[in-house]
Amino acid sequence: MATPGGPRPGSIPPNYNPNSVSDNMKNLQINRPNQPPNPANAPRGPPPSLGQQPQSQSQPFSSPFSVPNRPGPPPPGVVPRGVVPPSSGPTPHGTLPPFMVANRPVGAGGPPGGNASLASRPMPPVPVPSTSGPGPFASTPSPTPPPVMPVGSGAMNNGPPMFGPPHGTPGGPQYPSSGVRPSAPTRPPPPPPQTMSSFLGGSFDNQPRGPPQVAPPTFSAPLRAGMQPSSGPPTFSSQAQPQGPPFGAQPWQMQSQQNVPPPSIPCSGQPPRMYGMSPPLANQQSMATISPATGPSGNAVSGPSKIDPNQIPRPVPSSSVLLHETRQGNQANPPPPATSEFIVRDTGNCSPRYMRSTINQIPCTAYLLNTSGMQLALLVQPLALPHPSEEPIQIVDFGEGGPVRCSRCKGYINPFMKFVDQGKRFICNFCGFTDETPREYQCNLGPDGRRRDADERPELCRGTVEFVATKEFLVREPMPAVFFFLIDVSMNALQTGAVAGACSAISRVVADLPEGPRTMVGIATFDSTIQFYNLKRAFQQPLMLIVPDIEDVYTPLQTDVIVQLSECRQHLDLLLESIPTMFQNNKTADSAFGAGVKAAFLAMKSTGGKLLVFQSVLPSVGIAALSGREAEGRTNIYVGDKEPHKLLQPVDKTMKTMAIEFAEYQVSVDVFITTQSYVDIASISVIPKMTGGQIYYYHPFSARSDPAKLYNDLRWNVTRPQGFEAVMRVRCSQGLQVQEYSGNFCKRIPTDVDLPAVDCDKSIMVSLKHDDKLQDGTECSFQCALLYTSVYGQRRIRVSTLSLPCTPTLSNLFRSADLDTQFSCFLKQAANEIPFTPLLAVRDRVTELCISILHSYRKYCATVSSSGQLILPEALKLLPLYTLALTKSIGLRSDGHVDDRSFWINYVTPLSVQLAIPLVYPRMISLHDLHTRETEGSVIPPPIPLSIEHVSDDGIYLLENGEDCLIYVGDSVDPDITQKLFGISSVGEIHSQFVLEQYDNPLSKKLNEVLNEIRSQRCNYLGLKLCKKGDPSGMSFFSYMVEDKSQNGLSYVEFLVHVHRQIQSKMT
Amino acid sequence: MTEFLDLETQDAVRMPWNVIPGTKQEAAQSVIPISAIYTPIKPLPNTTPLLPYSPLRCKNCRSVLNPFSIVDFSTKIWICSFCLHRNHFPHHYQSISDDNLPAELFPQYTTIEYEPQNERPMSQFSQLVPQVFFFVIDTCMIEEEIGFLRSGLERVIGEIPGNSLVGLITFGRYVCVHELGFFGKMNKVYVFNGAKEISKDQVLEQMGFFLKKPRPATGVVAGVRDGLSQESINRFLLPAADCEFALNSVLDELQKDPWPVPADQRAPRSTGTALTVAAHLLGVCVPGSGARIMAFLGGPATEGPGSIVSKALSEPIRSHKDLDKDAAPFFHKAVKLYEGLAKQLVHQGHVLDVFACALDQVGVAELKVAVEKTGGLVVLAESFGHSVFKDSLLRVFQSGDNDLGLSSNGIFEVNFSKDIKIQGVLGPCASLEKKGPLCSDTTIGQGGTTAWKMCGLDKSTSLCLIFDIVKKENPDVIGQAANNQFYFQFLTYYQHSNGQMRLRATTLSRRWVTGPGNIQDLIAGFDQEAAAVVMGRLVSFKMETEAEFDPIRWLDKTLIHLCSRFGDYQKDSPSSFVLSPRLSIIPQFVFNLRRSQFVQVFNNSPDETAYFRMVMNRENVANSVVMIQPSLISYAFNSGAEPALLDVASIAADRILLLDSFFTVVVFHGSTIAQWRKAGYQNEPEHKVFAQLLQAPLDDAEAIVKDRFPVPRLVICDQHGSQARFLLAKLNPSATYNSDAPPMPGGDVLFTDDVSFEIFLDHLQRLAVQ
Repeated sequence: MATPGGPRPGSIPPNYNPNSVSDNMKNLQINRPNQPPNPANAPRGPPPSLGQQPQSQSQPFSSPFSVPNRPGPPPPGVVPRGVVPPSSGPTPHGTLPPFMVANRPVGAGGPPGGNASLASRPMPPVPVPSTSGPGPFASTPSPTPPPVMPVGSGAMNNGPPMFGPPHGTPGGPQYPSSGVRPSAPTRPPPPPPQTMSSFLGGSFDNQPRGPPQVAPPTFSAPLRAGMQPSSGPPTFSSQAQPQGPPFGAQPWQMQSQQNVPPPSIPCSGQPPRMYGMSPPLANQQSMATISPATGPSGNAVSGPSKIDPNQIPRPVPSSSVLLHETRQGNQANPPPPATSEFIVRDTGNCSPRYMRSTINQIPCTAYLLNTSGMQLALLVQPLALPHPSEEPIQIVDFGEGGPVRCSRCKGYINPFMKFVDQGKRFICNFCGFTDETPREYQCNLGPDGRRRDADERPELCRGTVEFVATKEFLVREPMPAVFFFLIDVSMNALQTGAVAGACSAISRVVADLPEGPRTMVGIATFDSTIQFYNLKRAFQQPLMLIVPDIEDVYTPLQTDVIVQLSECRQHLDLLLESIPTMFQNNKTADSAFGAGVKAAFLAMKSTGGKLLVFQSVLPSVGIAALSGREAEGRTNIYVGDKEPHKLLQPVDKTMKTMAIEFAEYQVSVDVFITTQSYVDIASISVIPKMTGGQIYYYHPFSARSDPAKLYNDLRWNVTRPQGFEAVMRVRCSQGLQVQEYSGNFCKRIPTDVDLPAVDCDKSIMVSLKHDDKLQDGTECSFQCALLYTSVYGQRRIRVSTLSLPCTPTLSNLFRSADLDTQFSCFLKQAANEIPFTPLLAVRDRVTELCISILHSYRKYCATVSSSGQLILPEALKLLPLYTLALTKSIGLRSDGHVDDRSFWINYVTPLSVQLAIPLVYPRMISLHDLHTRETEGSVIPPPIPLSIEHVSDDGIYLLENGEDCLIYVGDSVDPDITQKLFGISSVGEIHSQFVLEQYDNPLSKKLNEVLNEIRSQRCNYLGLKLCKKGDPSGMSFFSYMVEDKSQNGLSYVEFLVHVHRQIQSKMT
Repeated sequence: MTEFLDLETQDAVRMPWNVIPGTKQEAAQSVIPISAIYTPIKPLPNTTPLLPYSPLRCKNCRSVLNPFSIVDFSTKIWICSFCLHRNHFPHHYQSISDDNLPAELFPQYTTIEYEPQNERPMSQFSQLVPQVFFFVIDTCMIEEEIGFLRSGLERVIGEIPGNSLVGLITFGRYVCVHELGFFGKMNKVYVFNGAKEISKDQVLEQMGFFLKKPRPATGVVAGVRDGLSQESINRFLLPAADCEFALNSVLDELQKDPWPVPADQRAPRSTGTALTVAAHLLGVCVPGSGARIMAFLGGPATEGPGSIVSKALSEPIRSHKDLDKDAAPFFHKAVKLYEGLAKQLVHQGHVLDVFACALDQVGVAELKVAVEKTGGLVVLAESFGHSVFKDSLLRVFQSGDNDLGLSSNGIFEVNFSKDIKIQGVLGPCASLEKKGPLCSDTTIGQGGTTAWKMCGLDKSTSLCLIFDIVKKENPDVIGQAANNQFYFQFLTYYQHSNGQMRLRATTLSRRWVTGPGNIQDLIAGFDQEAAAVVMGRLVSFKMETEAEFDPIRWLDKTLIHLCSRFGDYQKDSPSSFVLSPRLSIIPQFVFNLRRSQFVQVFNNSPDETAYFRMVMNRENVANSVVMIQPSLISYAFNSGAEPALLDVASIAADRILLLDSFFTVVVFHGSTIAQWRKAGYQNEPEHKVFAQLLQAPLDDAEAIVKDRFPVPRLVICDQHGSQARFLLAKLNPSATYNSDAPPMPGGDVLFTDDVSFEIFLDHLQRLAVQ
């Protein structure tokens, strides 16, 4: 790796430990001191070529993130996720290893936009006058939502329905949250506009569109109350504080208190967030009133029209970086939204990045859970990228004996193991067994019942630690880091430039691979035969070894096909350079994907490793050849119509059998599909899916615009923090058990998942079920243990433990529901079902899930009497919107290309929580007015709701979902703007295979800056697609306007009405 | 004796019976079968012209016009001597007359060659392609051996004619076909799994022969004619001139098969698959034109079809005993594979040569069938560094006087008088299954046909034809008086090393006799050397094909019967037994044949036995006789070089012996000579004579070595030295460790319990007279 800037390992400081992510973190810490808070100083690895970066430098306001690390500069595509800044940079980080972690900007405190928000933050403490406020909070256990509605109900009948939370209400209590969450202010009548803006951070502009806009008259009062954010919030928080523990209240409050000075970027991240939406607290409910007429009576027509679309719940970005302590006062602290930017302090529970639950309180009984209609599941992402400001994970070496574990359930020592008997014994928090403490590990207990050394021992005070694996965990020497590249060189692949793209990407990425004897590479190509290359030839050019038997493959050599990188760099370069020309005249149209993969596997079998395959056409020959069943489906309408979802299933078991074998030998496969046509992703994907890999999809591949993304994807793939030959298990306390794991892995025994490779982007859903009752007042623990080998050959066990309170109360469940996680589960379950269930049934099920949750809330928790109101639990108030968006997503649309849908399903399976929502509800921003708008602090302008109303013909918009990025150009855009952005005066002239360049004008620079910021947030280069009104590309853009009525579903408003009606019908 | 040699010089044929027993019964009584050993392309005397036109053939039996044909110059008609059919001379023979004979009618040109101009080469495939050499190289060897092999090959590459096509396969666990034509861009190798049988279709498919052109829907696919582009063929087979660099660079890099071999295992060596692939590839690219697969094997085949032993070193390679007891589990499978391969190669007209150089067996016994049927060469040595291998290989490519005269694509046909039928041929050829009235009911070797394919043949390739006399006991006086000649015609159609197709016609006539009074005639026509060689081939053949065959008993019986019939004795009086000089040496030949490596398999591996037999089966009479009964020449101060008795008594301290047993040439210094030599007397001017004495046998040995193929192993040893065993093993044990009489001073004794020739003769006399 040319590492980013930094000194190569050799030159590194004493502590430098080249290995493992966690080590990186350490380094990070080390670096920290050096790193001035000012982002400007942040590591700027990237060479000047990245136009972008320099800019960011000059602009202190850009988020710290974007600066140093991730994002690539736009056009030439080179830059990627900034992980590793290109070599040259004299970054202070230099020490850091390849992974981006290291590079992340350190300084949390981007000074920028912060000022305003800072100002506002402090305010919370002020007590608020709200009347009922204390009530809900005080009574911790039953925080049933305050009777919000009564007030409004009358008024509402006629009035425009309102959704939103608000109002009303005595909701005072909710306020505190609003205080916390700056978003609240969106309300219209912002009394003190200024405050608002300050709250919002940059979002001021948005205001008008902001979600809940309440009709003035009726609500004025409540509104005011709500609106007084400035004064309001404080009250609660203060209240809460004294009260301490009441669940729910506390967290928020705490967060508010701990707000870190807003980072430079207001919407730091992630997708727009809904939190702020209403002043009400998390435990509050949101209500939408639907006029009675529309309700039960069925006068639907008029109903919806009366809803003001501007008032319905919508995500609102949060503007500040939150500081999150995982536990406070010995209580679990509900995590901030996954999509927000936050910094975690591990105070006992693991960071929510590693593990988060759909509900932050665990229902005591299965009945309670069922009643709520919600799911109980964990999303674990054991190697998730930490925030650069977070402390690194500590490494604990227990020496020969290995980590202390429960002798019965083998749970690892963690802060929730209870030591008794002067520390001579401890009680396992999972199985309840009492174990002897190993003598050398004994320590007396303090007066508080904790071990006296608890705070010195990371495993006793941290939610996440890494244990050094002892022999017991080794079945063999830790494997070397093997990277094997396999390239389809059939005729189409060459003609479309895919081969050239792949070769150049590989050749550049090879430079980024870790130096050293443990890094091994190999390369092979295939068409209707498989060509290996002997790279270990001292005096000659590489030797091509052809394996012609594609029905029964083998590796032509056991050694020398995979060679230490240091021994073959030159050969590799030479080879990669010559492959495209060598096969230039290849007339073989067939492609033996299965055989190629199998052969490469055989070559890697003795070590395991990562197999990166570049495939360009439908695998047509050899082992596991596929047929163009999509076309067959189309021509044979009868079959095609009957069970269209069958096309989304793998065609047979061949690939699966192979995949299981690969997984057994620790070979992980990633497939980069650079194609023009159908390749049957449904079948191909089985292999990456079961081996802990993933699919990348470039369709239709363009030699002009895609190589940059290909390179960046590949680079991130090999340089991101990752582990090999991993095994993961989640344990939980008695009363619960793991029901199922879902994600990209292979499962051979019921309790463990085998991950030939695991990386920071992969998340695994763990659904839980009750097998017993849990005691109220106790806590329930979850522990995820991941045994893996780092890129540097260290065997580690990363153990993350999360302990959550149990509750017998339904309303607590709703209050502590975690929307992002819940929705991720929805999404993943839906994705899992698509190939096996008719599409309509999937959509109905998704909708039904949403409805039943809301119905449960309405029935058991809401205090509103009128049936004309749609009442949403505050925590889940965006659930309808996301559910609607989900039903309109690519995977659940019937009009999609089969491969697109397959890819979508595969993309979703290992998707992390923070990317789940943007996938279905993308972020849209306008570009044409970038320069005119002075966004405070944030590089990225505030998002626009996904409705065609908000898209004007003279505008240019950017829409991104974490994977793709569409730039929509209206048909009457000011030529001056297109000239500035694209260097072309008329929209029509823009090349459809669009490559964004940076021109020398502020608008263009700004656009690139925004784009890079987005890329860095998403850890994804985001392929750019240009969409023009009136052609298919425009249509695809509009298909993302999920709030609009379309052939795929209702509009947002209609959907709310539909949901409401369904609830009503259930109620009766 | 010399008359037989003269006949051989003229017609390249030796027959045990030059006067033929005229009836079936008499032929049976003659013990030694009526047979001929014919060397089809033995160089003709310089005086024999090469006829630049096609031969004239009998319209009836397709035999060729020859000096024995009766020509009627006036009517321009000739009568076929075989079927007596009357043929008109064609127009261009119109000028024929008593004084104006075409060469083929000259009485001295009973053997003559035609090289018709402008005739396309034979066969359905046609297309004259230069000679093809396809190297198949084993890489499962220690580095040192690889080095030897490399240097051996590098010496040879320069000798390959520039227009010859060259291909290369290396193999170990996998079979690597080198695409020499891709050189320059990158060395490119097709790797086949050695453990798996590969069909020709797979080769076509997998090696990309149909990338540019769709495969024809039907029919055999092979060669340019059939839809393969020259371009795709030239990927693998390149003119030597074009690929010398590529070839050298591959050889330079030749290294040990990289697959790891556990200490307790043999290297995985997929000989069978490698040869199959080579055969397929040649079949695809150059069917019908002369091509040689030259296999260089360094150890036993252990992988895939054709394995001769499992990989576990704990399991020994099959021995003769195992074969006898049918305890060689791999043997039959491997033989079956090679039989199939032989059939394929014969069909394609290609040759398999084997150079087996290893201390271990490599599977020559299994490969034998493929080598023999294609007329391939075989060389067995202990190491690629050994001169036996290096010089033999060089000889293959050498041009000039000593060249082997390698020719290819031969078809051998026979024609006889009607009373003679052919039982079969023992020798390097394959039956073309052309059945006809000339075929006997009983078959031996390649029988049941009157035409044979000889994919590869050279100047010394000799076939042993076994005939059957079908004439019944019928005192048909008229027949006997009018025509007591049998006629034989041997036609060999082959591609000369210059690329042209030639036809050689040899026509023989032999007198037959019948009746009890003709024994002396038979004896007069008896060629004991030829008889010994025929018996050698026959006994080898029977040992290989007949279960429970007891060769010693068979040989003894044969000899006794022969002696009883043709010896002169009084019944039951051994002392009265006398053999005519025509038969006098035959007992000695049989005695030595009994002791030879052809019959005594003890102490020889199946590979060695197979090797010896293969060589004997293709050698001419003179060489074969040396194999059966080595020649021994003694050198001494007073007498110069003179033949010595092949007896331990020939050893003397002051003599040098030169033993030529064909496979080895031993120069044996008597103990005194050895002492002098060690003392360095030969370097002193006053002992020039001694130096000459030392040099003489070496020069003679050199001469022997020079024109022999395979190049023999030259052993120079001293009396009482360990290497002396090469000599002692061949000597008649007239004096053994338990002989009564002590040896002569300076003589030697043999440590053996074998019977000596004297005792053998005693027994023979006793039994013959009973």
